[in-house]
Amino acid sequence: MRPAGTFDESYSQDMAIVRTRFQWIMLIAGLIFLFGVLPQISSYYVLTLANLIGITVIGALGLQILLGYCGQISMGHMAFMGVGAYVTGIMMSHLGLPWFAALICAAAASALLGLVFGLPALRIKGFYLALSTMAAHFIIIWAIWHGGDITGGVYGLSIPRPHIGEFVIKGEKSFFYLIMIFMVIMTFIAKNLVRMKLGRALIAIRDNDIAAEFMGINVFYYKLVAFTIASAFAGVSGALYALYLGNIAPEQFAFLDSLWYIGYLIIGGLGSITGVFFGVTFLLALRQVVMIAAPTISVVMPGLSEGILAATMQITFGSVIALFLIFEPRGLYHRWEVAKSTIRLWPFPY
Amino acid sequence: MALGIVVICKASGIFNLAVGEFVAFGCYLGWALLIQVGLSLPVMIIMLFVVITLLAFSVERFFMRPLIGQPVLSAIMITIALMEILAGVITLLWPGIGRMYPPILPAGTWSFWGVTIAQGRLIIFIVCMLVFGLFVVFFQRTRIGLVMRAASEDQQLAQSGGVKVTRITAVTWFIGITTCFIGGILLGMLQTVNPGIAGLGMKAYPAVIVGGLESVPGALLGGLLIGLSESLGAGYLDKFVQGGMAEVMPFVVLMLVLIIKPYGLFGYKRIERV
Repeated sequence: MRPAGTFDESYSQDMAIVRTRFQWIMLIAGLIFLFGVLPQISSYYVLTLANLIGITVIGALGLQILLGYCGQISMGHMAFMGVGAYVTGIMMSHLGLPWFAALICAAAASALLGLVFGLPALRIKGFYLALSTMAAHFIIIWAIWHGGDITGGVYGLSIPRPHIGEFVIKGEKSFFYLIMIFMVIMTFIAKNLVRMKLGRALIAIRDNDIAAEFMGINVFYYKLVAFTIASAFAGVSGALYALYLGNIAPEQFAFLDSLWYIGYLIIGGLGSITGVFFGVTFLLALRQVVMIAAPTISVVMPGLSEGILAATMQITFGSVIALFLIFEPRGLYHRWEVAKSTIRLWPFPY
Repeated sequence: MALGIVVICKASGIFNLAVGEFVAFGCYLGWALLIQVGLSLPVMIIMLFVVITLLAFSVERFFMRPLIGQPVLSAIMITIALMEILAGVITLLWPGIGRMYPPILPAGTWSFWGVTIAQGRLIIFIVCMLVFGLFVVFFQRTRIGLVMRAASEDQQLAQSGGVKVTRITAVTWFIGITTCFIGGILLGMLQTVNPGIAGLGMKAYPAVIVGGLESVPGALLGGLLIGLSESLGAGYLDKFVQGGMAEVMPFVVLMLVLIIKPYGLFGYKRIERV
C-alpha cells in the first residue's frame, strides 16, 4: 500500500520499484549502513551471522520464487545448494578455474539439474510433488556421497580462497562484502523477475493452474522455468557457501535444512521478496538464541544434557513453524505491512 | 512390515509426514513404560492407549483444526513441524544409543517344508497381517470407516452430509497413531530401539506412492517392488558405484513412477475442474 497523495504521472514512474523520495532515502541509507557502517561496528560474531544470513537469503529467494510465487513445493532445495557448492569446489580445486567462472558454472549446473528434477512437476502437484522433490534430494546427496574422487566422498572437498586480482578474499569482513554484494544483486534480480510477465504468470499458476492455462499461459513451460530459476539461485547460494567455508562435505546439505528453508518462507511470508529477509533473519537469530540458551537449560535439568542442543533446536523449530501456521499464516511480512500502514495513518484508526 | 501400517495412515487422507517419528516415538514409549516404569505388558498396552487418545485429540485440536481450509502446503508443513517436535522430544528424553526390548517373543525357530523361520518374526508377521486385515475390514465395512473415507475425499461435502469432520479427524489420527505405535513396538522387538527407526518410516513413502496413495493392494505391491529394487540394485549395480545402491534405489523408482504414472500404479486419477 502506498501513502495517500502519491500518484503515477508517467510510465517510468509506474514501473519504478522505488517509488517515493522517502523510499529512495531509505534505500540509500540502508545500503550505506549495510556496506559502510555495519562491518565497522559489528563484532566478529555478528559478521559471521550476517554472512550466514546473506547466503541463506539468496537460497531462500530462489525457493520463494518457486514456492511462494509458483506454488510448487520443493523439499530438496538444500540438494541444489549442494550441487552449487560441489560444482564450485570441483571447478576450482580440480580444474583450477577462477572463482567467478566457477560460480557461474555452479549456477548453470544446478539450474540444469533443477530442470531435470522439475520434470515430475509437469504432471503432479501438492503432496506428490513434495515427495518427488524429497526423492530428488536423496538421489543428489547420494550421488555426492558416492562421487569417488570427483566429489571427495565422505572427506569432502577443500576449496582455495577466492581472489580478485591480487587481493585474496579471506576473513569475515571481506567475505561480508562479497556476500552482501551478491545478496543485493540477487534480490534485485528476484524482485524484478516477479514483477515481469514471468512473475505474473507464476502467480496465476499458483492461484489456479487450470485457469492460468485457460488464459494462455504455458503452465508446463513456466513451472520448469520456476524450477530452473530456483535451482540457479540455490546454486549461487551454494557456491558462495562453499567459498565462504572453504571446505565442503556431504553432510552439510542435510534433508532437515531443506525443511528449514521452507520454514524461512513460512515465517517470512509466502509470496513476498521482503518476507524472505524477515524469515531468514528471524529463524537464524532464533537459532543463535537456542544455541546460547541450550547449555543453560542443561544446567538446570541435568540428565538431559546429551543431545540437548539438537533436541531443543528441533523442538523450537517445530513449534515456531506450527505457531506461525496457526496464528499468522501470512508471515512476518504481513505484520510488517500492517505496522507500516498503522504508522502512516496514525493517529487515525484507518 | 511397518508398511501395512503406513498405508493406513495414508488411506485416512492425512498427508502425514510425521509417520516415521510417530513410529519411533511409540517404540521408545513402549520401551520406557516396560523398562523404566516397569509395567507389565497388558498394563503397558492400556497406558499406551491412554497416551494415544490424548495425543490424537490434542493433535486434532491444536494442530489440525486451525488449518481447516488452508492449502496443502500448510498441512504438509504442520506435520513436518510435528515431526520435528517429536524428534526433539525423543532425543531429549531418551538420548544416546540403542536400547533393547526384553525378550517377549519366543526365540526358537520353526520349519515348514524345509523353510526355517524364526518364531518371533513369524508372530510379528501374523500380528501385522491381523492388524492390517482388521483395518481393511474397518474401512470397507463399518460406518465410521465409510465416513472417514468420505471426509478424506472432500471435507466440505462430508460436513454438509452431516459428518462431524473434526471428530472424524481426531478418530483418524487415533487410528493412525495406534498403527504407528504398533509398528514401532514390533520393530523395536525385532531390532534395537534406536532413532534410526524414524528413517524406516521415510523409506515407506516410496512404497506407498509407487502403489498409489489410495489403493491398499497397491501399497503392498509397492512395498514388494521397492524391496526388490533395493536388493536387486544392491546386487547388480553396487560394483559400479562403490556400494550404497540400496539406499537410493527406492527414490529412483519413486522418481520414475512419478514421471511416468503420476498417481501410482493403482491410484485414482483425479479429474480436475475449475
